[in-house]
Amino acid sequence: MKKIVSIAAAAALMSSMAFAKEVKIGVVLPLTGPIAAFGQTSKGGLDIAYAQNNKLKNGDTVKLVVLDDRGDKVEAATAVKRLLDKDKVTVILGEVASSNSMAMAPVAEKAKTPMITHASTNPRVTRGKKYVTRACFIDPFQGAVMAKYALDNGMKNAVVVTDAKQDYSVGLSKAFKKAYTGAGGKVAKTVLINSGDKDFNAQVATIKAANPDIIAFTGYYPEAALLVKQARAMGVKAPFIGADGVGFPELVKIGGKDAEGFMYTDHFNEAAASSAEAKAYVDAFHKKYNKPADSMGALAADAYGMILSAMNACIDAGKASDDKECINANLRGTKGYKGITGVITINENGDAVKSAVVNEVKDGKFAYKTTVNP
Amino acid sequence: MDFTTFLQQMINGFSLGSMYALIAIGYTMVYGVLRLINFAHGDIMMVGAFLVYLAHAAGLSFPAAVLVGVLGAILVGVLTDKVAYKPLREAPKISLLITAIGISFFLENLFNVLFGGVPRAFPAPDYLTQVIHIGKLYLPTTALVIPVVTLLILAGVLWVLYRTKYGMAIRALAFDIPTVKLMGINADGIISLVFALGSALAAVGGIFYAISYPSIDPLMGIIVGLKAFAAAVLGGIGSVTGAVLGGFILGFTEILVVAAFPDLGGYKDAFAFFFLILVLLFRPTGIMGEDLERGRF
Repeated sequence: MKKIVSIAAAAALMSSMAFAKEVKIGVVLPLTGPIAAFGQTSKGGLDIAYAQNNKLKNGDTVKLVVLDDRGDKVEAATAVKRLLDKDKVTVILGEVASSNSMAMAPVAEKAKTPMITHASTNPRVTRGKKYVTRACFIDPFQGAVMAKYALDNGMKNAVVVTDAKQDYSVGLSKAFKKAYTGAGGKVAKTVLINSGDKDFNAQVATIKAANPDIIAFTGYYPEAALLVKQARAMGVKAPFIGADGVGFPELVKIGGKDAEGFMYTDHFNEAAASSAEAKAYVDAFHKKYNKPADSMGALAADAYGMILSAMNACIDAGKASDDKECINANLRGTKGYKGITGVITINENGDAVKSAVVNEVKDGKFAYKTTVNP
Repeated sequence: MDFTTFLQQMINGFSLGSMYALIAIGYTMVYGVLRLINFAHGDIMMVGAFLVYLAHAAGLSFPAAVLVGVLGAILVGVLTDKVAYKPLREAPKISLLITAIGISFFLENLFNVLFGGVPRAFPAPDYLTQVIHIGKLYLPTTALVIPVVTLLILAGVLWVLYRTKYGMAIRALAFDIPTVKLMGINADGIISLVFALGSALAAVGGIFYAISYPSIDPLMGIIVGLKAFAAAVLGGIGSVTGAVLGGFILGFTEILVVAAFPDLGGYKDAFAFFFLILVLLFRPTGIMGEDLERGRF
């Protein structure tokens, strides 16, 4: 008995001493599967942010534990469970797809572990959650930006294409329709698709019959690329506008010349990057990957930066760097964080309030059009 | 829906249906002989398409790359049989089925690790991606080429099965493997032939699938494999002609659901599979399927 007590005392002494600790951040991303590009680009940005800074103020080191969920809701929730039970992480970063983040959020919430999603824009991800925060704007804002941009350019008759399998797309379509019809636009038809499908000829024939001024596509890039290809092959000439789910090189690689003129709202375009933080990131990105910096990577880097800044704030307040309650309070209380994608302030719902950019595919590249503030 | 749109949807249904039919033939071939639902069929399809992509990226011309893809898929198919299925020849059918699922996961993940999960643009040649205008109708070249290829392959498979000695051996195997062995026929050789044929068909299907929808990834075979399987069951699994029929029915059902009820378009798979259940309720062996203990093909 005595022995046990002394071992316990020694252990307690050790842990209270100023040895540098290792704080773990669990990362869940779709590194493979239908939306793998989201995960891969997020990881690319995260790696740069991690290489730039992986030490806390008190000398503790940060370690990333990255898991792949193959873009699957069930796998995403299981991954969080594993990160909590086996890897004992302090914070969870992820996912990209709103459906997957929504599967993860209850698990993190139950374990009272702070979770930050860098790119899930559906409002329901953070709704009613105390421990879930996000580094991006939400779809009602994004949908309004899409609607405004379409109307400002004189496109008053729209067909909305919704991916019925994705909460992101369903929510975004709703937000777009509300803003669009509210400002005088007319939605001629809503067409449904399923992510993972490849044949959209039936939908294209319906779109063609409706003869819209603009096609508002709220799904993800794999379907966007094939849909625009099939639409152009069948003689549909109306321009497409999408959101942050389509702005990936694969849109251009697969869509080819048919993707030209595809407009979309996004979080970040390096052409609009003006702050010192953004420039440093973009430079490091170019040096490492030799290609333009994408928005998912920038968002992931921002989410990571917010976690580190929350941990440092806890250290300043005399708390441990792995104090989950304190980190969560600081994450939710983020104000004016100077990130790569802009200045981030978290509102009472845990959502980031920040600006959006509008891009367009031009000569196979993503050209910057304008910035819209909240 | 005006008449032009209706006709256009008919063309779309025909083109999608022929795609499913092409892939379903391979499914049904292997089932007919081994009574094995080869879940890896969709993945062999993916392997075929990927090999074409890689061979083309390495500088081969498209036809040469297709040859590499088909031969490579045959190799993978026969190898799968030798390594995974042959040791289980005498084992209960359920072990084979589980092994097939294992092979399917193995191939998907192997390609995931080797090439990553990000979709790639398939190098479909221009002469196969043209669109023909007839009045207001748009007819993709593939909508003409794929049905022709499907029918040619159907005729070819039927010819092999009914007009050659190998075909006779294949049909005999479908009845009773031990008896065929007793007759002095190299049963394992014939089974390898079936896998080679099935894999070649899968590869051809995969290549045409990739030409029609030029985006390939390691998991591309899952959904289309499932649909082709449904088509084969619908037509009567084990019957080659039934597979083609099932493919067309499935393709038309999907397109018509989207065309007639755009608001329910997100549930087209549910409609297609509901239709499958309906057919099986009245004809448990599928439309052209025979009683399991009687003849096949």
